Amino acid sequence: MKEAKKIFKTAREEGRTFVLEHEAKDIMKAYGIPIPAYATASTADEAVEKSKSIGFPVVLKILSKDILHKSDAGGVKINLKDENAVRKAFDEIMENAKKYGKEHGIEVDLSRGVFISDFADMGTEIIVGVTKDPQFGHALMAGLGGIFVEVLKDVSFRLIPFTEMDAKEMLSELKAYKILEGVRGEGPRDVDALIKVMLAVSKMIEENPEITELDCNPTFVYEKGKGAIVVDARILIDCPEKDSTH
Amino acid sequence: MTPVLTESIDLFFNARSVAIYGASASQNSVGQAIVQNFIKPQYTGKVYGVNPKYTQVLGIPCYPSLQEIEGPIDLVVVAVPARITPRVFDDIAAKGSKAVIVISGGFSETGPRGAEIEDEVVAIAKKNNMRIIGPNCVGVVDTNSHIDTFFLPEYRCGRPRPSNVANISLVSQSGAFAAAISDWTAELGLGISKLISLGNKCDVDDDDLLCYLGDDSTTQVICYYTEGYDESKGRTFFDTAKTVTPNKPVLVVKSGRGTRAKAASMSHTGSLAGSDNVADAAYRQAGIIRPDNFEQMFDMAKALAMQPPAKGDRVLMVTNGGGLGVMTTDALEASGFNIPHPSPELENRFNERLPAYCAVGNPIDVVGDANSSRYNIVFEEAIASGEYDIFVVGMLLQTPSLDMDVTNVIANHQRSSGLPFVVVSMGGGFTTKAGEIMALMGVPTYATGEKAALAAKALAQYGEIKYGAKFNKTVASDK
Repeated sequence: MKEAKKIFKTAREEGRTFVLEHEAKDIMKAYGIPIPAYATASTADEAVEKSKSIGFPVVLKILSKDILHKSDAGGVKINLKDENAVRKAFDEIMENAKKYGKEHGIEVDLSRGVFISDFADMGTEIIVGVTKDPQFGHALMAGLGGIFVEVLKDVSFRLIPFTEMDAKEMLSELKAYKILEGVRGEGPRDVDALIKVMLAVSKMIEENPEITELDCNPTFVYEKGKGAIVVDARILIDCPEKDSTH
Repeated sequence: MTPVLTESIDLFFNARSVAIYGASASQNSVGQAIVQNFIKPQYTGKVYGVNPKYTQVLGIPCYPSLQEIEGPIDLVVVAVPARITPRVFDDIAAKGSKAVIVISGGFSETGPRGAEIEDEVVAIAKKNNMRIIGPNCVGVVDTNSHIDTFFLPEYRCGRPRPSNVANISLVSQSGAFAAAISDWTAELGLGISKLISLGNKCDVDDDDLLCYLGDDSTTQVICYYTEGYDESKGRTFFDTAKTVTPNKPVLVVKSGRGTRAKAASMSHTGSLAGSDNVADAAYRQAGIIRPDNFEQMFDMAKALAMQPPAKGDRVLMVTNGGGLGVMTTDALEASGFNIPHPSPELENRFNERLPAYCAVGNPIDVVGDANSSRYNIVFEEAIASGEYDIFVVGMLLQTPSLDMDVTNVIANHQRSSGLPFVVVSMGGGFTTKAGEIMALMGVPTYATGEKAALAAKALAQYGEIKYGAKFNKTVASDK
């Protein structure tokens, strides 16, 4: 897919081994993976305007090649419900980024401004990810988010590419699978939509083997028939030649 | 799976002429132990030694180099110090031999100097289309051709035998494990076709042997012990395994289940992955069965070699002892089997033909005074009903009423129905002997219910791999 290749080329030219959030979302979109509506804005006014067209509430995140861990740099503001909140959040994010730069002795590039996205409705939290194993190559991981992954490490893997059957098996191997089937009065989740996301990620990796790691975390899965959405995506790529950015 | 590849590997097992480089007259040396293997009458090919010090070793002719030997040499076994191996390889290349087993250590496993020598011999081999097993290994044992490069005297390390029922081949990265398994399986009476120790895997690796053994008509089950694969070699093994497992069961014991190999990772997924999780998934996806240890591997392999895979997960436990029935059924249930009660029709038929004091259910207890004809009734009715995919048979021979004909009853029903049977027979000397007879008749027999359940599970697991969606799965998986 040309879209992804173009983005990876830009990233490499800038000496990055990660792609920026809007780039990650562009790639997701190109593979038909559902994501919340999003835009980018380099000024507070633009942020307000774009937020209005997306519809409140929104999320704002710093968009800079110099910041990978956005929350650590005070670069994420969520659940912004109106114009004022967006304007205030924009200014704060810029301030925090400058402060972060000073603390770390780096010049933070702020020219790209912020990433704005629809504040997605909460669904069942899932992590879908990719790792590249030195012996076996790319593998996809799936698991339920939150404590299931953090504490119980309840995740399952398959090598990429895999079949729809594999994807189903993979989910049914999870100890928490019953949650997806629906427990304690909750209806069953849209497992088919989740499997579509998994297969789309598999295809993305097959066509772009330069991806070394990927997280779709969280992915929200809604009630059966209501789909799934990748809220946050992180993509890392290998560096063809060893380059020297900080 | 190119024919060229299969042919080049075949020389290691079917060489008609073998030269032992480093053949030695000194007792207890590696060079002598290997010669001893080849002068046994079972090996019918030609054998030569290569060592400038001798003109003969234990009665076989010995030459200063391969060039003095008349006629072609199919296989060269190298047991000389690592530093002189490049010279030896030049000699092998000039002779035109295509298969070399390097027993010696002192190569890449020892550090950069050794790695350099290894690279050097690999380069010579590549240029001359030679294949290498090793270095740093014990080589191969083939129970059909009697090629045997294990440098371990037979009084210390028993050699396995082939069985006329079915055979297992084992590939081991570790030479010490290969030797221990040789010794152990000789004792167990498991039918073995080939044992291969791969050592440093400088050329021939797990994948080459999987291709070869997949097509080898003397191998019914393929077993591996591995500690890991070279970069991206796990993937090629996986790709080959996918083509082999629908036809032959493949079992892998892989050590290194720990998570220490977790590389520094920038993503959540990377930090959770750990190499063993990925290996585990790869095995499952490729239809490879992964036992936890050697004991499990051989219990499973024995059943897989002797019995057809199950076409579904409905098991009937037949027993002449209540305790054994309950324990085995517990283990079967924990393994994910469906243990359905006989249908009312089947129950009626059992009740009509069995004494009233037999406990009809699942397990079905034909009780302590049973003779073989009660087992016969149970099998006849249960098989005819089509309600079961696999039979686990408890056979307690301490009771005087149970005649030895029970082994015939079991074996005959197994053969005529084509359904898998596993026998559990607990006890001492008499029981063990009976178990051996049962196994000779083609039905795997185990000393405990847990082992029998594990064997039955392997037959169901392989059935699921082989038959895919056609496997009749009646219980929901809840792993």
